[in-house]
Order: sequence, then C-alpha cells, then structure tokens
Amino acid sequence: MFGRPTTRLVVLRVLVLSLLATLGARLYYLQVLDNHKLTQTATHQHVREVLLPAPRGAIVDDQGRPLARNRASLVVSVDRGKLTGRSDGGKAVLRRLAPLVRMTPEQLARKITPCAKDVPKPCWNGSPYQPVPVATDTSPQVVLSIVEHQEDFPGVSADTETLREYPGKSLAAHTVGYVGPVTQAELDSAAAAGRTNLHDIDLVGRTGLEKQYDSQLRGQDGVRRVKVDNRGTVMAVDSESAPTSGDTLVTSIDAGVQAVAEKALLDQITQSRATFDYKNGQNFAAPSGAAVVMDPRTGRIIAMASYPSFDPTQFVGGISQSALNSLTSEQSGIPLVSRATQGQFAPGSTFKLVTASAIVMDGQAKLDGRYACPSQMKVGNSIKTNYDNESISGGVDLRQALAKSCDTFFYKFAMDAWHSDQDRLDDGKKVVEEQQKMARAFGFDQQPEIDLPDGQQTDGRIPDRAFKKARWEENKKQYCANAKKGYPDVSDKARRDFLTQIAKENCSDGWRFNIGDSADVAIGQGEITVSPLQLAVAYSAMVNGGKVFEPTIGRAVVDPTGKVVRQITPKLRGKVPVRPEVLQFIRDSLAFGKGLGVSGESAFGGFPLKKVQVGGKTGTAEVFGKQDTSWFASWAPADNSRFVVVGMVEQAGLGSRAAAPLAREIYEGIYGLNGHKAALPGGVPPTKLPRLHVDAPTPTPTPSADHPGPSISSGPSGQPASPSGAAPTPYRSGGDSTTASPSGGPRGFAPLPDGPPASLPEPSPRTRGEPG
Amino acid sequence: MTGIAPLARERTSYWRRLDWVLLGSALCLSLLGSLLVWSATRPRLLDAGQDPTSYLRRHLLNLGVGIVIGGLVSLVDYRKLRVYTPIMYVGSCLGLIGVLLVGSTINGAHSWIVLGGGFQLQPSEFAKVALIVGMALLFAERGSREDSRPGADVPLALGLAAVPMAFILLQPDVGTAMVFVFVILGMFAVAGVSGRWFVGLLAAGVLVGVAVVQLHLLQQYQLDRFRAFTNPDQNTQGLAYNITQARIAIGSGGLTGTGLFRGTQTNGKFVPEQQTDFVFTVAGEELGFLGAGAIIVLFGIMLWRALRLAGRSPDVFGRLVAAGVVSWFAFQSFVNIGMTLGIMPVTGLPLPFVSYGGSSMFANWIAVGLLLNVHMRTRDAGSI
Repeated sequence: MFGRPTTRLVVLRVLVLSLLATLGARLYYLQVLDNHKLTQTATHQHVREVLLPAPRGAIVDDQGRPLARNRASLVVSVDRGKLTGRSDGGKAVLRRLAPLVRMTPEQLARKITPCAKDVPKPCWNGSPYQPVPVATDTSPQVVLSIVEHQEDFPGVSADTETLREYPGKSLAAHTVGYVGPVTQAELDSAAAAGRTNLHDIDLVGRTGLEKQYDSQLRGQDGVRRVKVDNRGTVMAVDSESAPTSGDTLVTSIDAGVQAVAEKALLDQITQSRATFDYKNGQNFAAPSGAAVVMDPRTGRIIAMASYPSFDPTQFVGGISQSALNSLTSEQSGIPLVSRATQGQFAPGSTFKLVTASAIVMDGQAKLDGRYACPSQMKVGNSIKTNYDNESISGGVDLRQALAKSCDTFFYKFAMDAWHSDQDRLDDGKKVVEEQQKMARAFGFDQQPEIDLPDGQQTDGRIPDRAFKKARWEENKKQYCANAKKGYPDVSDKARRDFLTQIAKENCSDGWRFNIGDSADVAIGQGEITVSPLQLAVAYSAMVNGGKVFEPTIGRAVVDPTGKVVRQITPKLRGKVPVRPEVLQFIRDSLAFGKGLGVSGESAFGGFPLKKVQVGGKTGTAEVFGKQDTSWFASWAPADNSRFVVVGMVEQAGLGSRAAAPLAREIYEGIYGLNGHKAALPGGVPPTKLPRLHVDAPTPTPTPSADHPGPSISSGPSGQPASPSGAAPTPYRSGGDSTTASPSGGPRGFAPLPDGPPASLPEPSPRTRGEPG
Repeated sequence: MTGIAPLARERTSYWRRLDWVLLGSALCLSLLGSLLVWSATRPRLLDAGQDPTSYLRRHLLNLGVGIVIGGLVSLVDYRKLRVYTPIMYVGSCLGLIGVLLVGSTINGAHSWIVLGGGFQLQPSEFAKVALIVGMALLFAERGSREDSRPGADVPLALGLAAVPMAFILLQPDVGTAMVFVFVILGMFAVAGVSGRWFVGLLAAGVLVGVAVVQLHLLQQYQLDRFRAFTNPDQNTQGLAYNITQARIAIGSGGLTGTGLFRGTQTNGKFVPEQQTDFVFTVAGEELGFLGAGAIIVLFGIMLWRALRLAGRSPDVFGRLVAAGVVSWFAFQSFVNIGMTLGIMPVTGLPLPFVSYGGSSMFANWIAVGLLLNVHMRTRDAGSI
C-alpha cells in the first residue's frame, strides 16, 4: 500500500509532526492566547482574602473615661481542614480538647461541622475555610496548655479577638447604644454605593451613638491576601494592608453625673412604688422615668438617664431571642426605649414657661398686671379646676401664677386667645395660635435634632386646629362608620351607647379645636406631648437668654493618633421670640430660696440653696386612666446657669413628690452636697477635651474567672449604682484606663513564655470569600 | 542486506558512534522530568512531614538504573537480542498474568505488582518493549525471505500482540492497550502491510467498540473519564476536577511561567497525580509556554532522530524497532500532554521520561538503548 519503506515512513513522519504540532498549538492557545481567564481562575482559587478587622473606636465621656471600648478575649479555634486531614479525622484531638473548653467531644465535633441542610444545630455557620471559634474568654491556662502542646493539638489555635465592651454595663445605655453584625441588605447597599469599608465580619452601630457615629467609629478593615493550598491551608502571605482603627468619639456625657442621675432616678422609682397614692387608692406604679442634664450655655448633654434600662453587653456576640423579647416587651417596660428622648408625655405645668412667654409677648398679660386665680373656671361647656381646687383670693400676678402654678390664671388667657382666633376665622383671616407658635419656637412639636438616630427622638405634639383637622380627615371614615354601626360587639348597653355617642361626635365635630383644647394646651395637659429632652432644651433657652440649641452629645472625633479630626459644636436652632427681661422675669419667679414659696421648693428642704441657687418648675400631668406624671424642670445656678436638669417619673404623682427630689439628688451629685462626692467639682463641666492616651496600648487585662474585666477602683461618684440594681462599673480616673484604639496590625500567636503572658496577641483575622 | 556489523571493533568508537542528539534529548527530558517531579512532590512531602527530596532521589535512582539498562541494551548485538526476544515476550506475559493474580489496584487499574520497599513493578510497560521487539523480529525473519509478502505475517503478528493485550485489557488498562494498537498500526504501516488489512482492522475496531459500549463492558470510571473529557465544566469535582485543575495550572503559567518551585497551583497541590500522569502541568505552570514547549520540542527532536534512523536502517528489524518506538512515544506523549491540555480524555498514561515511575523509566530507556543499538549498526553499515 505504501510502497517503498521510505515512503511508508513519510506517513509516520507526517503523523508525528501533526500530533506534536497539535500539542504545541493547543499549548500556545492555553498559555498565551487564552491564559487571562485561566490565570484569573487560578488566582481566585489559590488566593484568599483574609480580613483583618479594624478595632472599633471607643466612646468616651467628657473626661476620657470609656463608655464603650474593645476588650480582648482569648478565643480557641479549630481548623477543621487540618483535623480532617488526619488519619482518625481528628477524633483524638477533639477528645483531648473537649475537657479544656468544657464540652463533650461530640458537642465539639458538632460545633465545628459546617451548617448544611441535614446538619443538626449547633453547627458552624461561617466560611468552611475559617477556623471555627469553639470557646471565647478562655483562661490563659487553657491557652498555654494548647500552645505548649501543639503536637497534641494540631489544627487548634488560640488567638485574641476583640469584643465590644460597655464597661459601665447599663450606664448611659440608651445614649451609647449597641452594635450588631452587619446585615446582607447593608452590605448590598454599601456595595451599590461603592463603599468598600463594610465587610461581612463587621459590626455596625444599631442604636445610639454607636449608630449615629458609626462611620467614624468603624475603622478601615485591613485585607491580607494569602496563598492557600487545595485544602485551604495558608501557605504564604501575598500582600497585606493593615487595618486602620476607628476614631474615638469624645462625648459631653459625664460618667459621674450619668451614674448619679441613674441612681437618683432609680431611687425615685423605688421610692414612688413604695408610696401610697391617695388620689388613686394604690401605690404609685412608677413604671418609667427619665432625667436629662444639659449645659444650657453650650447645648451639650451631660447626662441622660432613662428607666428601665438595659445592658448593651447583651448584644455583644448576638442576643438571644428571649433576651431581645424581654427588652422590647410591654411587660418589662420596653427597656430599649429611651424615655428621655423618645418619651411622649403631657408636660403639665412645666409647659407654663411657654404659655407665660406667649401671653406676655402677644400683649395679653402684663408683667406687673394682676389677674384672677379662682379655684375653678367654666371653659366651654365644662368646668375646669385648679389642682386640689386651690384658689388665691384677690388675684395674682404672673410671678405668683407661675410660682403657685395657678391653672385658672392661664385658662383665661387661653380662652381669650382661642376666641380671638375664632374671630379671625370668622373674618376669613388666618389664625395666630400664639401658644402653639411659641411652643414651636421653644423647640416643641419637632425633632430636637440631638445627635442620636432619627428613630430615637420624637417630635412630640402641640395640638392646634390644623392637627385636629388632619387627624379627623384621616380617621373620619372610621368614626362615622362606628357611629352608624354602633358597637354591636360591646355587650354592655350603657358602654355601647357611650361609645356610639363619642363616635357620632367625632364623626361630625372631631375636626374642631375646642376652647377646652386651647385651655389644655396652656397648662400642658390634654393631647400635648413632649419628651424630657425637649423640655430641657426649652428651659435651657429660658436660662441662656433665649437660645434654642440642637442638643448634642458628641464633642469631638479623635483619630487613633490623637489628632482631633472633627470638633462637634451644637447647632443653634434659633432664638425664642421673647424679650430677655421676660425670660428673666419667669426665671426669677421660679427661683428657690427667695421666699416665693415656689411649688416644688419643699423638695429642696435642707438643700444649701445659698450655695447652689436652684430654680425650677414642677409639673403634674393628668393622664386618662393612669396616675399623674411627675415633672420637674430646673436649673442652677439661678444666674448664669450651668445646668438644666429635667426629671420625669411616670405615674408618680406630684412634680414635687418624685421629679423634684430626683433633680435634687442629681444637683447634690454634681456639686458634691449633702455627703455626695462632687461629680463635677465646682459645678463646671470640663471645657477642654480630655487627654486620650492613644499611643499607649490598650490595657487588655488577662481575662480569667477571677478578673473578668478591667481592674476596678472606686469611681468619682462614690456611690455606684445603676437602675437595674447591679452596681455599675465605676471608672478609674486618670489616663491609664482610657481606651484608645488598639494599634498595630495582627501578629501570629507566638508560643507564650514561661509565666503569665506579658501581652496578648492581636485579633485573629477572619476569612472572607468562598472557594471558586 | 545483512550488513550488520559486529559489536564495536574498538572500545572508543562506541562513544563516537552514539546518536548524541537522540541520547541528549532523552537525557534532557529525563533531567527536566526530575526537576518537575521534585517540584510536584516537594509540597506534598513537606505537608506530610517527610523528606521533600525523597521522590526526587528515588526518581534519580530509577533514571540511573534505566540509563544503565539502556546502555546494556545498546551494547548487545541485536542479532543476539533476537535470542532474548522470546524470553522478554514470555517474561512480560508472565508479569501481566502475575498482575492479574497478585497485583494492586491504583487509580482504577489493576496494573502494579508491589515489590515492597516502596517499589512497584508495572509489567505492561515492559510489554510495550516486548511487543515492539517481537513484532520487529517476526517481520524481519519473514521479510528476509524474498518470496514472502508481509501480509502473510499479519495474523501471526496480531496473535503475538493479542496475548499481552488481552491481559492488559483485563487489568483493565485501556490506555496501554491503545498504545499497543497504535504501535501495531505504526509498525504495520512501515512493514508495508496491505491497505485492506488496515480497513479490516479499522472495521473490526469499530465493531468491537460498538459491542463494548452496547454490552456495557466499560467500567464506570472509564465512562466517567470520557464524560469528564467531553464535559469538563459540568462538574468541577471528581475527574473533571483533574482536567479543570490541570488546565488552570497550565494556563496560569503564561509565556514564561512562575519559575521552578514557585507555581501556586503546584505548591497548593491543586492538581492530583501531579508527579505521574499530570507532570506536564508542573512544566506548564512553572516553566510557562517556553518550558512546556521545550518538552514538546525535545520529543520532536527525539522522534525526528528515531524516524531518521528508521529511514536509514539497512534492515527490516532496525527499521521496525525504530518505527515501533516512534509510534509508542508519539502516541503516549500526545495522549498524556493532550489530556492535561484538555484535548484527550484521561487515560492514565505517563509522559515518557518525564513522569515519575520506575517501570516506565526502565522501559523508556530500554527503548532508547534499542534505538542507539540500531543507530550504531546503521552508521557502521553506512560507512562500510
């Protein structure tokens, strides 16, 4: 067939040549022409990005004491890849490790098994390439025995991880807030916005300052690119960018005053609950309360307490559903809600600041005029009375009306104002509603714009014609339907008729702002609501010459090197349209210790008013179906006031009964009176930023059973307490306890020398990304 | 044409008469292979806490032994070789039977006899040599008679090949059987077997193939290999994983490679069986297109020299041995490299000279010895 042998060989030659040419061409195609995608795939496969979490910045008080910081926790982790590579699948290792981490080998094995469809919990939810943490807050002894006997514990490592710590426990919990793991939605929106500083291992501020200043507190995570082998074992570090610590937030909160305020609040709650309410026939329920301490000259918040409170530490590392339920349940008083900023309560007579300003400024009342103060007054179709039917014969001037809190005095002006507005309406003119206008000028009926998240501060409500109309428009269908239907579900006929009657009235007249509504507004009753914070802002305006601030907690943002990167100055919202002498007049009318017999002064019996001149206005707000809300809005010193203190205790009776003693205790704590240690000696909040020892490494005391946290010494308040009854952690003053952001990048875990470890290793990196 | 010269008249002329190009390319391939085997096994051995050079040292030992055997083969007058041929043939058949009786299964094929001490024997490698020499002998003996037509030897040659092939298919080692087929066809072509035989054999092959598939005679792993080849992207685990990883390793090498011992895919142990069947991926990743291409070029040089030898050989035996060896190396290297490049299915054939493995190394160097032997006699013939 092939003829001569040499010809036959040609076939073989051509065949061999074409085979080799095929190989060469294919090789050229794969390696030179088409290698881009393959190279990418290779990189994707053998390079892993390991995130080096950036330490979150601390939140410190006005003296640099930490309200939130990081602590190191010794974490024992198991590298599953290394265990499964062993002949027995790592069983022996787990058997040795289990007693050290107080688990059974079976529990341990379950814990490190990656979660899948048919894997029972508890299982490992993270990346299968990431060592699984099996025990946190391990003792150094356990770490030592693991590290020193690595041959017994292959694939087991001990590292430190940083955990968020709230050293004051529940101290200023509502203000400080808490952090939670980032959600996928947040990651997605960050990715959509092109932000790269959010990773799936990150914690994000959920409430309070942690949320408000999250972007400053959160640092920039470092990324370490490592080469891994086919089992995910790290072979070498490719490149590394060090994490940048978050900035520290310096606040104007004074931990000492805060502790005093929380203690005083708890005292009054406890005391109220033990006191019989004659009006109501049972003890005061006193379910909640709040206290706000504000610097009226700067608009800064010095302390803000709310009862009931919670310990944000509960949220560290994930909160259990039952714990979260109890923090949000009605039964436990919804501890997560700050009464100071989110509370909405009728302010009672404390609101007369606004009413008095309004009636003087619109010319209804003269500062030296005398007006009647009868025990009762016919307002519209109903009779309204003074508290306890008191009356002052011969009439009173504005000074007495404020000091004695005469309601009927203010009713008259409110009715006059209402009539004037009705006349304007009849004439086709616009209403003036001087009352409400003045209230808004003082900051009510709108967000105080404190530097807390939007959901954590409320507008409150100042009822007026527009409000009632709007609400009626919204609900009239329902009102009228109910009026038509009657209430067939209600079995009691009398109640059914009553409800039907109300529905009928609401259906036809619900839009009307009655004269009674106007009278209620004048004395802070009815549908009007304010938050304690709003009241503090208003009273600050009164004592500072009319300046309405957007109250502010943050003072400065300090970067890890100690440089102030942002000064936070409270914004001035505006000035109240009240002449300074009118404000002065109101202030003087309410000064204690001047023989004016100001209501609430009784609570300051034995208080050295000569030393610390306090002024204040009580409020006792009636709430339908509940006991009275006790209010007290105060300031000190009387002139050139440094502090505005607003106290509120829900269902605790007269303002002078609970709220005024609450404020008194706070003043005593601030100034160091009556056996209290001065939280702010001299009664002056610090004007300078505290020194932050940022260069010094964060003291990370060895956690152990005996010393679970930082060392504790007696705090400046001297009387540690917290609303939850547990002693709060007082602070060691001085720099060395000041939390600065931990510096430096991660290191490996070197075997510890003999004796206790001198320093702890840096946070362990966590792996991001899945295999390709 | 019986001008077969006696063994070297002078001792020194042996060295002068060697085909240094052929020998050089084989040596280059072997030494390059040693580096690649070292690079491939080093991370795995380190991982297991063993001496990272243990595979390298054993590989070099194999190479040394192989070169010595090859040298001996080149020294023996190949007329005397004919005497040894039946022994070799029977020996490999016995070895193959031995495998079936006491062999161990590695990667689905029952191809090894474990000798102990970490050494294994793979008789099918030696059977390749035996087949080539046996068939060459057969055609040479008949071809020396003027009246005979090569067609008459075909049934005998097929019968000769059928015995070891049957044993090999029983292991089953389809890859080696395919080498047999290719060697037979190559040698038939060079021996001048008539085209009808080729058509007949082709038809028979197709029939057998259809029968095998229809009767489900293929093992599951063989089907999987084929499926993984036709559809590598469907499943990145299992066999397709090998193929994908091999391609990734080669592709990521680019033009110049990452440098020896620096390949991340190799150091990461991503490619399974990397020191044996997939050794070419080490070259692809670490030496790049230049290094891996050099291996193909070296094979090209070696095959070119062997083909040149076949063309110049004064006798049928020499010509057929050279043609058989060319067919063997050409097919086996094409299949091996082709499978790492994703153009051939995974068959479990080592890359001659380069892959780790003693039996393969010995057999390859015996083949080199045969080629050198033929070459020396050819030169003698030409010079006379």
